[in-house]
Amino acid sequence: MATLRRAEAEDMLYAEARLLDERRYGEWLEMLTEDSTYWMPCNGNGTDPNREISLIYDDFAKLSDRIDRLTSDVAHAQSPPSKTKRLISNVQVEPVDDGANVISAFILYELRRGKQRVFAGRYEHRIRFEDGRWKIAAKKTVLVDNDEVIDNLTFIV
Amino acid sequence: MELKLDELVQDSRVHRRIYLEPEIFELEMERIFESNWVFVGHESEVADPGDYKTVPIGTQPAIMTRDEGGEIHVLMNRCTHRGSTICQEQRGNTHTFRCWYHGWTFNNKGDLIGVPYANGYGGSFDKRNFSLIKAARVERYRGLVFASLNPEVESLADYLASAKYYIDLFMDLSPQGEVESRSGIHKYGYDGNWKFQMENGVDGYHPNFVHQSFFETQGKQLGRQAMQLFAGNSECESKDLGNGHAILDMAPRRAATTRPVPNLLRGATSRASSDAYIESLIRRHGNDRTAEILAASNVNLAIFPNLLVIGIQLRITIPVSAKRTDVHLLPTTLKGVPDEINVARLRAHESFYGPAGGGAPDDVEMFTRCTEGLRVKGAEWLELSRGLERERIGVDGLTVGHITDEVPQRAFYRRWKALMCGVAQSRQIKPLRVARTV
Ligand code: FES
Ligand SMILES: [Fe+2]
Repeated sequence: MATLRRAEAEDMLYAEARLLDERRYGEWLEMLTEDSTYWMPCNGNGTDPNREISLIYDDFAKLSDRIDRLTSDVAHAQSPPSKTKRLISNVQVEPVDDGANVISAFILYELRRGKQRVFAGRYEHRIRFEDGRWKIAAKKTVLVDNDEVIDNLTFIV
Repeated sequence: MELKLDELVQDSRVHRRIYLEPEIFELEMERIFESNWVFVGHESEVADPGDYKTVPIGTQPAIMTRDEGGEIHVLMNRCTHRGSTICQEQRGNTHTFRCWYHGWTFNNKGDLIGVPYANGYGGSFDKRNFSLIKAARVERYRGLVFASLNPEVESLADYLASAKYYIDLFMDLSPQGEVESRSGIHKYGYDGNWKFQMENGVDGYHPNFVHQSFFETQGKQLGRQAMQLFAGNSECESKDLGNGHAILDMAPRRAATTRPVPNLLRGATSRASSDAYIESLIRRHGNDRTAEILAASNVNLAIFPNLLVIGIQLRITIPVSAKRTDVHLLPTTLKGVPDEINVARLRAHESFYGPAGGGAPDDVEMFTRCTEGLRVKGAEWLELSRGLERERIGVDGLTVGHITDEVPQRAFYRRWKALMCGVAQSRQIKPLRVARTV
């Protein structure tokens, strides 16, 4: 069983950040396992998505639909698209049975329609070794401001 | 050309200034939000004694509380000493609110119960004169809590008019006749006027354009069915429910004998729990009423001025300024159904709604586009005449049009004008100071 070293985890997060910032969503989906979930809780840290509403709680199929929609030319809330740049830091790796949990912090700048916004939060990536490479088996994004009013949040955080 | 307030809203068109001007916004707060019923929340948000949540009335901060006797109050969040807010959290549980500026303490009914170093006040000082300001009226309908700052406002039941029938259908989706709002709140905002949101929530003309990208990802069959609802040859209707309320009625052949499965459940739950759920509805309501309830489960209902009931959600439109609006979505779960059904409701809601949803942000985008477009001078009017020549009076005496017609928007603005310009039939309104030019 391979162990995920912090340098490898960081490389993965940076690669993911770049794909998302460059809106290379198809390539991003390839970093995910097919049973992957993407969870962005609302109103706090998120305890049970079956009992509370989330900003996003997608399985892989719904996430693929989301990407299809965002990359169609009639996704108005992303027309024109958000330009983003995110910085990732404070990476911690906790080994688990078949991989690792990777916790990190991010700051994300977004520019759309001449308006710049800043988001910050915590990423929690569940990383699993599959088909000879490390893949994202679950991603949870906890925005600092997820209990506040947020305008258009249709780009992928 | 100068226009008077009552000329800005006409039978089939409205003037751009009602979306843009701070002066009109201030009048709306006074004559609509502070003189009328406004929706403040669902009673399950304050289920237990001591529970509270903060919620604005118009632009004024308020707190909805439940006291030890189980009664719900709406208190203005303003210390009667020197003005500080007394409650800082969005929600919680407490029996007292302490203002931390000089330590005055109030109970959750609004009474002043403690003043530090009270001997500094003279003999004429009476705590009873310093209760928190309270909403003059708080009334509930099927768990929906409304408040009014106007003691003379008509009863809530009268106010809701024909909308009650549709609220009943929404609540009766629960075999216990009750929904709960205890799953959190989606909150989003936009740079644009609050009326855009209220118009859009019952606009059957826009979905096939604004939400094309969403429908296309719903699979061929479901996507096409959804687009058919809002097509030019759809059998669905829009309806004026009185007092500014309106609905998009997507069940024109209501009470069909077949057993329709609500589309929120389709594909998302096991056959077993969906069957168990429908059986429980039939036990309570019988076959016909159950069919009617399920057929109406796809709802878009507007209650003037600030509530929309859409899908599984109660949506509160919160005016912030002429060109800024916040929106809170309260997703509801059904009491007395298998967990799976409620989970399916939450997932269906998330896929479309909220700031990261696949649908609602596209609506919001249109509100900001309109706000920008309306800066153009010379094109002064927004046209709301669609269906004016084909609308008719239905069997229930209500004005009905095609689903893509602007019947709901005309209903909204008739009420708006009545309240803003002082001719509301169903309530007394303070006389206008002057027929002012705004
Ligand atoms: S302002 Fe509240 S105690 Fe003084
Ligand atoms: Fe819409």
